[in-house]
Amino acid sequence: MSAVAAPPMARPPKKKGPGFFGHPVVRAIISIAVFVGLWEVASRYSLPWIGQAPPPTKVVDAWVPLLTDQGYWYSWFQSSRRVLSGFLSAMIIGIPLGLAMATSRVFNDITFPVFEILRPVPPLAWVPAAIIFWPTQELSIGFVIFLGAIYTIMLNVIGGARSIDIRFFQAARSMGSSNWDIFRRIILPGVLPSIVVGCEVGIGITWNVVVAAEMISGGGGAIQSSAGGGLGFFIWNSYIGASYPLIVVGMISIGIAGYISSAIIRKLGILATPWLRAR
Amino acid sequence: MSAVLSQASQGNAQGGKGAIRIEHVDKVYEAKSGPVQAVSDCSLDIRAGEICMIVGPSGCGKTTLLNAIAGFHDITGGAIYLDGQMLCGPDRPKADPGPDRVVVFQNGALFPWKTNLENVAFGPVVQGKLSKAQAAEKARGLMADAGLAGVEHNYPGEVSSGMRRRVEIVRALMNDPKVLLLDEPFRALDQLTKSVMHEALLEIYYKNKVTIFFITHDLEEAIFLGHRVAIMTTRPCRPKKILEVDIPHPRDYAVLTSPRFRELMEETVSAVHEEAVKAFEAGEKEM
Amino acid sequence: MNPKIKPVGLARPRKELVELLRGTVLFSGLSPALIEKVADIAVLERAQKDAVLYRVDDPARDLYVVVAGQVNHAHGPATQARVLTKTMQPGDVFGWAALIKAPARRFATVTMLADTELLRISGAELMQALASDPEAARDVLARCAKMIVEDFTVPAWLAQVQDVPAGKGGSPMVQRQAAAGEIGAWEMFAYRLSKWAKSPTPYLMLVGFVLFFGAWYLLSEVFKVWRFASLPGPKTVLLEWFNPNPTYGMSLYTPDYYVHIWSSIRRVLYAFLISTGLGVPFGLFLGWSKNFREFTFPVFETLRPIPVLAWVPLAIVMFKGQESPVIFLTTLASFYATALNTMLGVQSIDESYPRAAACLGASKWQIFRHIVIPGALPFIFTGLQISVGVAWFSLVAGEMVSGEYGLGYLILASYVNVQYVVIIIGMVSVGVVGYVSSALVRLAGDYMMQWRVRELALGGGR
Repeated sequence: MSAVAAPPMARPPKKKGPGFFGHPVVRAIISIAVFVGLWEVASRYSLPWIGQAPPPTKVVDAWVPLLTDQGYWYSWFQSSRRVLSGFLSAMIIGIPLGLAMATSRVFNDITFPVFEILRPVPPLAWVPAAIIFWPTQELSIGFVIFLGAIYTIMLNVIGGARSIDIRFFQAARSMGSSNWDIFRRIILPGVLPSIVVGCEVGIGITWNVVVAAEMISGGGGAIQSSAGGGLGFFIWNSYIGASYPLIVVGMISIGIAGYISSAIIRKLGILATPWLRAR
Repeated sequence: MSAVLSQASQGNAQGGKGAIRIEHVDKVYEAKSGPVQAVSDCSLDIRAGEICMIVGPSGCGKTTLLNAIAGFHDITGGAIYLDGQMLCGPDRPKADPGPDRVVVFQNGALFPWKTNLENVAFGPVVQGKLSKAQAAEKARGLMADAGLAGVEHNYPGEVSSGMRRRVEIVRALMNDPKVLLLDEPFRALDQLTKSVMHEALLEIYYKNKVTIFFITHDLEEAIFLGHRVAIMTTRPCRPKKILEVDIPHPRDYAVLTSPRFRELMEETVSAVHEEAVKAFEAGEKEM
Repeated sequence: MNPKIKPVGLARPRKELVELLRGTVLFSGLSPALIEKVADIAVLERAQKDAVLYRVDDPARDLYVVVAGQVNHAHGPATQARVLTKTMQPGDVFGWAALIKAPARRFATVTMLADTELLRISGAELMQALASDPEAARDVLARCAKMIVEDFTVPAWLAQVQDVPAGKGGSPMVQRQAAAGEIGAWEMFAYRLSKWAKSPTPYLMLVGFVLFFGAWYLLSEVFKVWRFASLPGPKTVLLEWFNPNPTYGMSLYTPDYYVHIWSSIRRVLYAFLISTGLGVPFGLFLGWSKNFREFTFPVFETLRPIPVLAWVPLAIVMFKGQESPVIFLTTLASFYATALNTMLGVQSIDESYPRAAACLGASKWQIFRHIVIPGALPFIFTGLQISVGVAWFSLVAGEMVSGEYGLGYLILASYVNVQYVVIIIGMVSVGVVGYVSSALVRLAGDYMMQWRVRELALGGGR
C-alpha cells in the first residue's frame, strides 16, 4: 500500500497516548506478576482453594538444582520420545486413511461408521486394554498416544479435502489433468493447511495423553515402574514422595515442552504452506 | 476547490432536513507500512433531500468519508456538519453514531439471528421510542409499503439478496433518519435484481425525501439515481468533479436509453477512467 | 387479458408440439393417444419480452410448457423453495400450481426474458383428459409430485395435489399424503430414509461393521491369534453385558453398573455447568473488551499449555476429598475450550453488525445483548461441543487416578482385578454416554440457533 502523498500530509494528532500501562506487553507482565503474587500469598496463608499447593518461591528453589540433574532431563527425553513416536505413527497412518476416506466414496462408507463408533471412547479408556494387548508397556503407551492424535488428524484431513473448491478440480480437468495429477497437485496441497491444524491440535492432546498414560501405568500401582520415566511419571513420583514443589516443576516442564512442540509444528506448517502467508 | 463549494451550496432547492457539509476533511491512518492519507482536504456540500452519488475507484477513500459521517472513525482534520450542527471537528474527532444518519452496509448487516420484522423494529425498540408491539406494527406497515409483506417472520438468510437489501433500507427508514448513508448497497446483486432495486429505492425516496449519500462505482447506477454525482480522486480522496444530473425526477428505466443519459455517461466515464488508471497503477487491493 | 400475450393459433405444426410434449418430464410416460388429447387442449401463445405471465397469489388455472424463448420463474420467498429463481428453457414445464386442489394460487412470478412461445394447458381440462386413463394419470401426478419435491424443502404442497378424478386411483404416495393432510418433518425424514436405503451407503456401512466385528471375533475368540487371545471377544462381552447373573458382577442387570455410570455423568454435568457458567461470560468479556483481554489473557495463555491431566496430583493436593479434584480437572479442561471459543466467536462477528446497531441507536449494553451474544453463539456451541468431549476425556483419566466409582475407575479397577470383559463394557459405556451427551449439546445448539438451521435447510443461505 502506498500513500499518494500529494498535498502536505496532515499529521495524525498525537492521541493522549495510552501511556506505559497501555502497552500490551506491559499489561501481560503485570497480569502474570499479579497472578504469581496472589498465588504466593495464598499458598503461604494456605487459603482454602489453594490447599497445600506450594508457593512459587519454593517451586523455583526446587527447580534450580534439577537443571543440572540428569534424571530430570532424561524424563524430558522419555516423554518427548513417546510423544514423537506416537504422533508420527498417527500421522503416517491417519493422513493416508483420511485421504482415502475423503476421495473414495465406497471406502468412506465402509470405514467411517466404524471410525465414528470408536471415536467417542476417550483414548485413556484404552489404557488397560492396550496394556493387555501389547507385549511391552512402551508399546501400549505408544498405542494410546497414537489413538489420542489420530482422530483429530483424520477428521481434519477429511474435512480439508472435502472443503477444496470444486472449481479447482474442474479447472485441472479442463487443462487435461489425470487423476493422479489431481491428487498430487490439488488434493495434497489443498489438504495441507488442515493437516497442519490437525497436527497442532493433535500434539496438544498427545501431551495430555502421555502424561496420563505415564501416571496411570507408573502410578496406578499395577505396572512395574522400571520402564517408567517421563515427565508424567516424574509428577506422579513427586506426589507419592510428597515433594509438592516438584509436582509444579513437572507441570511447568510439560507445559514448556508442549508449547515448544506446538510452536515447532506451527513453524513447519508455515514453511509447508507458503501460499497462505500472502493472506 | 472554492468553486466546487460555492456551486454546491447555492442550491438548497429541495428544502427539508439533512444537509451535510463536509469541510476540509483530512483522514490519515496508520497502516503497517506507515501513515496512509485516505482523505485529504475534502470539501463537499450535500443539500437537504437530495440523492448525492459518490463515485470513485475501489479503495479511493469513499468509505472512509462515509465512516466519518456515520461516526465509525475519527477524522484527523476539518469538520463535518449536519444541518449546521458539528458532527465532528477539531475538538471532537469522532462523531457519535446515531439514528439520524443510518448506514446501509456494503455486504448487508441485517442481524441474521433476528427475523426480518425484528430487524426492522430494532431501532425504535432499542432507542426506547416505541414498545415492541408498536414497533412491530409500524415495521409491518413499512414493510408492506416496500413490497415485503409475507417475509416478516423469515430470517434474513431465508430470503433473496435483493429482498434482504430492501429489508435493510426499511430498517433504516424506521428511524426517520435525516440522512441515509448507503455504502455500495447493491454491489453484490446481479444486474436484473439491481435494476429492480433501483426503482424500489427511488419509490422509497419519493415517499420519504430523505437525504441520500450513496457510494458506488457503478456509473450507470450513479447517473440513474442521483441528483448530483461527485467523482472522487483516488487516494487521497477529494471531489474531482461534481456533475449535476439534469434529468428530472421521478425517473424510470426509460431514462437509461435517453440521449441526455448517454451524454452524462460519457462525461463521467472519462473523468472516472483517469482516476481508475491511477488507482490501478498504484496497485491498490480491492478494499 | 394481458395485451403482451396473444394466442397465435396454429403458428407451429401440430406434430412439432406433440413431439415437444412427449419430451417433457411431466408427459413423457403417456401413451401416444393421450399425448394427442393433451395436445388438443393445449393453446399456443406468444408472449413479448418482459411480459409478466402471472404473479404470486394470482389464481392458478393453467399449466405451461415453454416452446421457444426463455422464462424467468421466481418463487415467492414464503414458499421456502430450495431455489427461488430459475430460468425455464424450451421443454420445461411450469405452473403446476394449477394441479393443486382449489383454490389454487400461484407460488411464483413468471416473467418473459425474451419473446417467448408457450403452450397453455388448462389444469381442469387436463384432469378431465387424464380421467380416461387412471394409470397414466397416476404417472403424471407422481411426476408432478416429484418435480415439487425437487423444488421445495418441505413438500407441504404435495398433500394438495389433486386426486385422480377416476376415483379409486391415485398414486399410493399422494393418497397417503393427502390423507395425512399435511406433510411435516416426519414425512420428510421418511422420504430421506427411503432415498438413503436405495443408495449403497447403508450396505457398505454394514460391510464395515461386519468386517470390524468379524475380525475382532475371529481373531480373539475363534483363532486366538497372537495377543488377541488375551482380549475378550465381542461374543463374550455381549453375553456378559446382557447376563442377569454376570460372572464378574457387572452387566445391564446389576445396579452397580448404573452407579458407575451415574457418578460419571454427575461429575461431567457439574463440570460442564461450572465451566459453561464461568467460561462463556469470561470468553465474552475477553472478546468484547480489549482492556480486559490484555490484563487477563496472558495468565490464561500461560496456564493453557500445561496439559489438564498434569494437574491431577496438584488437584488432589489442592482440593480435599475425592470428588472435588476430579470435578476440578474436568472443569478446567472444559473451561479452556469454552472460554477460548467464546472469545473467538466474539472476534468473528462482522464489524458491520455492531456498527449497524450503533447507527440504529443501540447503547453499548444493548449491542452486547443483541449483537455480541447471539453473534458469538455458533462459536460458543462449537466450544461447548468440544468442551463435552474433553470433559469425558479428562474425567476418565481423573477417575482412573483418583476417585471411587465412575466409568474410568471401573475400567482401571477391572484391569487390576483381571476382569477383562468388564474393561470393554466400561469402554463401550463411556463411548455411548459421551456420544449422547455431545448429541444433546448439538440439539440444544440447533434449538437456540433456529436462524442457522433454517438457513442451512435452504442450502447455505449467504
